[in-house]
Parts: sequence; C-alpha cells; structure tokens
Amino acid sequence: MPRFLKEFFNRNGTGMGLAILGLVIFWTIGLIILPQLSMLDFSFRPNLPPPEIGGPKDVYTLENYKYLIYGPEGGSQDYNAVDLRVFFRTLLAAVCVTIFNLILCYPIAYYLGQSKGSHIRIFAIMLIIPYWINEILRAFALRIIFGETGVLNTLFMGLGIWDTPFDFIRNDIALYAGLGYAYILLMIFPIYNVIESLDHNQIEAARDLGAPWWRIHWRVVIPYAKPGISSGCTMVFMLSAGALAAPQILGGPSSLWFTQLIYQQFNDNNDWPQGAAYAIVLLVTCILFVLAVMRLFKVNMGDIGK
Amino acid sequence: MNLSFLRISIWVYLAIFFLYLLGPLVIMSVTAFNSSAFPRMTPWECLTFQWFGELFQDQRILNGIKNSLIIGAGTVVLSVAMGLAGALMLTQIWPKLRATYYTIIIAPILIPGVVLGISTLVFWDRINRMLGLGADSVLSNGIFLTVIGQSTFIASYCMLVLVARLQRYDVALTEAALDLGATHAQAFRKILLPFMRPAIASAAVLAFLASFENYNTTTFTFGEYPTLTIELAQKVRYGITPSISALAFIIVALTVFFALLNEAKLKRQELVAAARKNATVEELAGKIKLPSFFAGNVAALLVVVFGVATITVVGTATAYNPAQCIANVKEQKQLEAEQRIQELRKQREERRKQREAEEAEQGGAQSMPKPSNNSGFGNVFAPNTLGGGDEESSSEPQPSTNGGFGGAFDPNSLKTD
Repeated sequence: MPRFLKEFFNRNGTGMGLAILGLVIFWTIGLIILPQLSMLDFSFRPNLPPPEIGGPKDVYTLENYKYLIYGPEGGSQDYNAVDLRVFFRTLLAAVCVTIFNLILCYPIAYYLGQSKGSHIRIFAIMLIIPYWINEILRAFALRIIFGETGVLNTLFMGLGIWDTPFDFIRNDIALYAGLGYAYILLMIFPIYNVIESLDHNQIEAARDLGAPWWRIHWRVVIPYAKPGISSGCTMVFMLSAGALAAPQILGGPSSLWFTQLIYQQFNDNNDWPQGAAYAIVLLVTCILFVLAVMRLFKVNMGDIGK
Repeated sequence: MNLSFLRISIWVYLAIFFLYLLGPLVIMSVTAFNSSAFPRMTPWECLTFQWFGELFQDQRILNGIKNSLIIGAGTVVLSVAMGLAGALMLTQIWPKLRATYYTIIIAPILIPGVVLGISTLVFWDRINRMLGLGADSVLSNGIFLTVIGQSTFIASYCMLVLVARLQRYDVALTEAALDLGATHAQAFRKILLPFMRPAIASAAVLAFLASFENYNTTTFTFGEYPTLTIELAQKVRYGITPSISALAFIIVALTVFFALLNEAKLKRQELVAAARKNATVEELAGKIKLPSFFAGNVAALLVVVFGVATITVVGTATAYNPAQCIANVKEQKQLEAEQRIQELRKQREERRKQREAEEAEQGGAQSMPKPSNNSGFGNVFAPNTLGGGDEESSSEPQPSTNGGFGGAFDPNSLKTD
C-alpha cells in the first residue's frame, strides 16, 4: 500500500495528490460509508430525549425492529399488520411498476437503438425533456389528468363510457401511472445503449434463417441486451420502492407507501431511531431482492452500471 | 403487406408512448391559462394570465427559488470537485481495490434518496453533538446538510460523466508538460482541465438540475431553508392551484428552449465540420463558405419560432384583459345556480303538496312536523349546493329529482353554456 501511495503522489504531485485523496476520502468515507453505519447504529437505539443520549439508558436494543414485526407492546394484534402490509405492498407494487416499464420501454429502446435517421435525435430530445421537469410537477400533471374532474374522467364521461367519475386516485391507478412515468428514461437508456451496439447483421441473419420476429427477440436481442435490461430494472425497482413524492401526491388517502411511514416516523412522530430502522429494513430488503433476482436470471453484478 | 402492418403498428405505438410521456406536460401547461380556480383543461372558461401574476407575488415560491439556487450552486461545486477526484482516482487506483471502490462510489445512485437524507441527518447530528455544538451551528444548518446530502449521490452522476471523457485522455500529454518543467498543479490546470472542460460543463448542468429537482433527500435535510421543490410539494399536497401550472409552464418552456438551443448548436458544429471536409484546398486556403446558422438546421429554426412565440405571448399578456370574459362566466355560473335553486324549490313544493294531499287522504289527525321541517332545512342548504343536495336526491329516488341534479354535476353542461 505505501508503494501504491508513493506512486500515486509521484504521478500527481504532492499537492494535487493530497487534494484528490482528500476529496475521495471525504466522499467515500465521510459521505457514503460513515453516515450509513451511523444510521445502522442509530436504528438499534431507543428513542431518547437529547439530554439522555449517551446516558445509562442509551443501550443497544432490537425494539425498533421488533416494532415493525410485532407492533406496539401490549397491542391487540400479534403482528404489526398495518406496517407489514404497507411494506409488502410497496415491494409488490415496485415490482409491478418495473415490469410495466420494461414492457413499455423495450420496444421503444429497440426501435431507437436499431433504426437510423435524424428523427431519432428528435425522439431522444423528446425523451429527455420530461426528465428535466421537476418530479413534483410531473406528479402534479398526472393529478390534473386523473383527478375527479380531470381530463380522463371528462373525456370518458363525454364519450359515455362511464357516467359517474371514476376515482383513479383511490384505486391507485394514478400512483402506478405516476411511478412508471417518473422512471421511463432510466429504463430506456441502459437498454438503448446496449441494443445500439448490437450488429444489425445478427438480426438479418436470424431472419434469413427463418426465425419469426418473436424468436429473434427471444434468442438474439434479449440475451444480448440482458446487462442493459438488468441495470434498467434495478434502477427502476430501487427508485420506485424508495419514491416519496409520487405516493405523497398521487397516492389515495387509505394507501401508504413504505417511505411515507419512514417520513411519518421522522416528521410526525419524531421517532428518529424507529425511522432509521425502517429505512434500514427497506434498504437491505431491496438490495437482497435485487441480488436474488439477478442470481435467478444469471446476471453479473459487474454488468450493472455499464 | 405484413411489413407495412408492422410499420403502422410501430408508429401507433410510438404515438401512444409519446402521448403518455408528453401529454401530461402539455395539459398541465395549458391549465395555466384557464381562469378556472382549479387547474383543469375542461371546461375551458377564459384565457387568462393572472396565475403568472399570482406566482410572482408568492413570497414562499420566490424564497424557495432563492434557496434552491444557493443550494444548487453549492452542490455543483462540491459534487463536480468530488466527481472529478473520484474519476481521477478510478483511473489510477490499485487494480485489486478497483471493483470495491467502484461499487462504493456508484452505490449512492441506487440507495433510495430517503435513506441518504436520513443517514446524512443522523450522522451530522451526531458529529454536531460530539463536538458539543448547539442546534444553531453550521453542521445542523439546512443549507449545509442539503448540499452534503445531495452531493453524496450527485457526485456519482458527475463521476460517470467525467470518467467517460477521462478514458480518452492521453496521459502522455501530462507527462510531456511535466518534462517541460510544469508543476503538477500547472499541468492539471493547463492540460487536463481544458481537455475535461466539456465534460465538466455537462456534469455541472446535470448536477444543478439534479439538485434543483431533488425531493427525497432534501425533505429530510432542508431545516429552515425549504427549496422550491419542497415548497411545491407542500402546495401540491394541501390543495392545488393553477399558479403551480404557471410555474410548470415556465419550467417546461425553459427546458424546451435550452434543449433546442443545444441541439441547434450541435447541429451547426456538425454542418461546419461537414463543410470543412467537403471544401477543396483552394476554399480552405481562401475563405471557407460556412453554412449559415439556419441552413439545414431544423432545431435552429425552431428556436427562432419559439422565441417569436414567447415574445407574442408576453406581448398579448400585457395588453389582454380577460376581466369581461371572467365576469361573463361568473354571471353564467350564478344564473345556473339560481336556476338550480328554483328547480329544487319547485320540486320541494310539489312534494310537499303531494304529501299534504296524502295526509289529507289518510285523514289522520296526527300532525307530522317532519316533512315541512325537512323542506325548510333543505332550502337553507340548497344555495351552497352539492353535499346537502346529494343526500336529498339519494333519499328521494324519483327520476325527476335525479334529472334536475344530473345536469348540474355533469362538467360538460358548463361548457355548452
């Protein structure tokens, strides 16, 4: 290691080397690793008023995690049914959003990646523009559309398809549409990047050999695009499971997202350790889930982020 | 035939896809010009610019923009610096450490923003306490925490952008500079930085936009300095007004404008390069006739059209006065409401008569105070409409009652008037 450091300083000069090293250490250790560890540590502690922190009561406890599973002590139910249901519903919904996005975006990414022409650039701009608009405003736009007197209800009632307003928000349709909408670009770009590098001759060859179009996709394009598909899916899953803005704005009054529970613990209940514990549970479950799915589909970790 | 069918279905799919992608933004932008107090496109009432005026008088929004700009600037500086250092480190780190290092610096992109916000808050709160500082120290300041929290993951984006260009850098250039007697700092400033400038510029733009629109992390760290996004979220959650649409329209217009401008610039560079390539030696020696900015450049034309449209709209906005139209709509609504009340009254009257007749038929001497009471109560409720009326109509399943109400509930009835 010292030799490596010496080489490093030889190459960059002492001043520059120190600056680079300092910034990198500050970022990796000060901003990424230590805060996560600190949150982990925090989640095992009881919720105490500030003067008692570090005092005799400040001991490690599993209380916060128990709360998620069993609910408040002496509660009427055996399990914390409300929070657990929210948790699994969040994961399930995030999976659905991911699959929906994959199905929606794969044809677009394939089309953009394989066809040539100047209109592709216009499509690319049209794809990027919504992504630069504030997340809150995008959710707001969908709320205008899905609202009780919104565009969709007016349209369908005008056409006579139904005659009382359909409550898209209470039925969570607005929420799923909003989550899907928010992360379309993150699904398209990785897949597009991979498919763009696929030699069109491979597809031609498969076609010449008599493969129908679905088999070309199944046997040629999808195996080739697997790294892109897995990065896209990972990002969309992680981000929609961790989304906060869309559920707050588009979610129905009775349906909560797990991040909203975390938010409530922090802002309404003022129970930081409990919130930290929930955040840890969310993070760890999501990571484990992604790893498991990647193993299932035989994708390498190294392929992600390419 | 099969092929053309495939082609048509591709275009239909593309159309639906882009409708899903851009439709909401268009509808939201349009609602900014409708005078209806609730942001909606139908029924269209009057063309108005009042929501823009309201937007610019909203102190909270203006304050949010100010905070967002401060935080954005801080985040850009910190995350571009860290991203550059991280990218430089990635190109020369010990190979065995490389995979671990890469995982660590890429992880913040995948960690949910909520988790990043919480961990930043918890960690710096603890540092603050360890140092024995009070609640008003720099370390618990909202701006500081937000910049730190956002930079954690925005630096990863910057790193990805920067490393892509850094891979094409020829280290021999730096070595040559060093051989010629430059110090390391000079070589960095005069050789590497100019080479990296385009990537640094795009990383900075990316960082600023990401910081500007971030919600998940900021919502835990902002303290007493709410950013624009936070203010917007609070407004949207507790009742929506068209002034938010107005803000959205401005943001959409700016985004489209800059995207087009950038595209026009790129296209022009391409055209210039093509012209240089095709030019003969004489032309190169003499004066190259470069294509003008607009020749064959659709994006540039669009930029101009866009500019003209903006000027027209702003011009109209200052001259146009929708007061008359709004007054008309108001009057219309009032008339409708009165009509509705009258209808209700008539129905109640009829019902009362019917009941009286029934009672008279029964010949009962018992007094029934309830029906008369009920109608009196109903009249009180009638002017302020829906809730009370709804109960009334549900308790009286007569088709005539329903008909009288159905028209009022149907949003289309307003449009046709």
